[in-house]
Amino acid sequence: MSSLEVKGVTKRYQKETVVDDVSFHVDTGDTLVLFGPSGAGKTVLLRMIAGLVEPESGQVFISGQDMSDVEAEYRGIGMAFQNFALFPHMSAFDNIASPLTAGRNSTSVVTAGVEKVARLLKIDHVLQHAPRELSNGQKQRTALARALAGSPPILLLDDPLRNVDAKLRFEMRLELPQLLKAQGATVIYVTQDYKEAMALGNRIAVVNQGKIEQIGTPADIYLTPASIDIARLFGDPVINLFDVIGKQDDQGGYIELSGQRLALADHQLEGVGSSVVLGIRPESLRFVNPDTPGAIRLTIEAETPLNEKIVTLALTERGREVLVSRPAGTSAPTHGTVFVAADPQSLLIFDSTEGRLTGASSVNKTEVAA
Amino acid sequence: MKDFLLDIEHVDKYYGRIDKGVHAVRDLSMGVQAGEIVALLGSSGCGKTSTLRMIAGFEVVSRGQITLAGKQINNLAPVKRNVAMAFEGYSLYPPLSVRDNIAFALKATKLDAAAVSSRVAEVAEMLEISDILDKFPSSISGGQQQRVSLGRALIRDADLHLLDEPMGQLEPQLRALLRGRIKHYIKSRGLTAILVTHDQAEANALSDRIAVMEGGNLVQFATPDNLKKEPANLFTGTFIGEPPMNVFDAVVSCTQESITFTLDDSVSLSYPCSAFSPAVIDAAVQRQEVAIGIRPYALRRGNNGLRCTVVANQWLGDQTHIAANLAGKPIVLVEHDRALDKPDDTIDINIDADNLHIFDRSSGNAISHGAVLA
Repeated sequence: MSSLEVKGVTKRYQKETVVDDVSFHVDTGDTLVLFGPSGAGKTVLLRMIAGLVEPESGQVFISGQDMSDVEAEYRGIGMAFQNFALFPHMSAFDNIASPLTAGRNSTSVVTAGVEKVARLLKIDHVLQHAPRELSNGQKQRTALARALAGSPPILLLDDPLRNVDAKLRFEMRLELPQLLKAQGATVIYVTQDYKEAMALGNRIAVVNQGKIEQIGTPADIYLTPASIDIARLFGDPVINLFDVIGKQDDQGGYIELSGQRLALADHQLEGVGSSVVLGIRPESLRFVNPDTPGAIRLTIEAETPLNEKIVTLALTERGREVLVSRPAGTSAPTHGTVFVAADPQSLLIFDSTEGRLTGASSVNKTEVAA
Repeated sequence: MKDFLLDIEHVDKYYGRIDKGVHAVRDLSMGVQAGEIVALLGSSGCGKTSTLRMIAGFEVVSRGQITLAGKQINNLAPVKRNVAMAFEGYSLYPPLSVRDNIAFALKATKLDAAAVSSRVAEVAEMLEISDILDKFPSSISGGQQQRVSLGRALIRDADLHLLDEPMGQLEPQLRALLRGRIKHYIKSRGLTAILVTHDQAEANALSDRIAVMEGGNLVQFATPDNLKKEPANLFTGTFIGEPPMNVFDAVVSCTQESITFTLDDSVSLSYPCSAFSPAVIDAAVQRQEVAIGIRPYALRRGNNGLRCTVVANQWLGDQTHIAANLAGKPIVLVEHDRALDKPDDTIDINIDADNLHIFDRSSGNAISHGAVLA
């Protein structure tokens, strides 16, 4: 089994830098998710790791060994890419079996291996079909099955659930980690779905414009997003953002929202001007009694249920929109005036010019530096 | 029963000859009250879009009748139906600016220019298109076109608003806000709306009632809450709800005191007979082979429950999805706090009789929800 390290990798096409001095490591058996919009450079990065594209500068190490002079097929990497790349003249079975038949496995070993992975990916009923007879979701799973079948020590998976319907996607999201863990593979997994990123990654690297903007555990990214942009990409409903004025008195730093004082932690106002952006996740707001300290008065606009949550859109007295989310089945007023309070630990402060998180835990910073 | 604003009675839609062609909508009867938001929900080919197009007047009704505001509209031209539409492919007028597209229908009314412009501004602000009002349809993105089309429909004072996949192309960060705003706008203006969607999150968020369709049939027509608590059959049970309902095949046995559901691998669930009405016990015992369903959020942890091995624990920021192995397949729990269970840990799960749905395994129809007959 192998660990993977990427050191200072850069790639330019013409004058455009598509991957810009990217470094990270993935421990043996871990899954690192590359999360970001299309065009962020994720796929090019995968191709450089695989040895299909040569980096301008920087190196890829597998188990500590520099791969610069190692051809793609000798890197011990299995891949499932977005465009499937299935052999069109071969059945799904033969496609999946191809990494197994390349070795000297007996027919029964090959058949057992293919059927096992096909069952897990729920394509065992279409194994005799040619790629053109498969739906896009089935093609994608066939490509994934082929990547898994050879049990390579490193797996690069480029958005493998993208074309799969919602229900199957959910099932596979739950089952894939077991599958990957059973293989013991070190995995890089590309997705644009934040839930998939949080569910599958031991760590997540948020990629934008060829750079890693933040790398950390799902909890690091969700609870201390490095920027407003990252905060908005993780979470549904989206985080509430308010332009506010940071103030300081003898009791410490605070901001005011709808006339209520919300106390901040130490350092949250350090090094920023007085105009800041307050971020509160919808689930960090609770409906409370009017006499609760810090209770903010809101008027409900609409209630919209969402996947075992109830999302309420409400307005402050000044007409600012607030989203509040609570578990389904918990009761709360559905119209009129309500009061909410924020969990003090959940308040995020971003500087208003760059949108960077202030007072962030040092964990993220050391990770990026390392 | 005739207080429906829109009344669909025994409507069939055939593409091709009646009784011979493709039977896209089968004997559909449903009524929509004034001020209601109703979703037609189903996967592609379920008949939802054909239904919407018949209401709009874009498709001929093969059989049955549609009544709107007391008037039979089967043979009325679309423009005479007083129906506002936001359809995919029902495109914007290319030579008109976004502003004029939205205002178009209002210009034919008696509203003065100031009133028109203030209503356009209100709708544009709601849909976050204020900054593109002077642009032309060809120079804006697909997502923006969709919002303009929605604005052009919602601004009207029509009897009925038909919205086809209204938010399909919106970026996820805008969705929660726009859902709330649009629902508020429709409700505060007292509009009646029918939306077609394949996305249950959208249907749940916006509608008062959802018509679940499958294979041209109306499977169930009920409030979102009702669909979750009292699914008429296994189809609705597993289709509605995210994550979906946990379903297990079970064999029923019964003594004087208790009723037992035996799953695969000899896993069994026992309840005192008093947990169910006698009619439920009779129905379950008579079927003997049933399917049982439990919603992921209705599972509780607790002592003396079913011992299961955790296979996955996925925290999504505001929810934890835990999959555990029960009777050889995964059972999924949803918790709202962050759970720390790791794979291979064991947890004890309780399934309360109140949260148990029993289905007939062959027909898929619900036998009971909790203690009472379906």
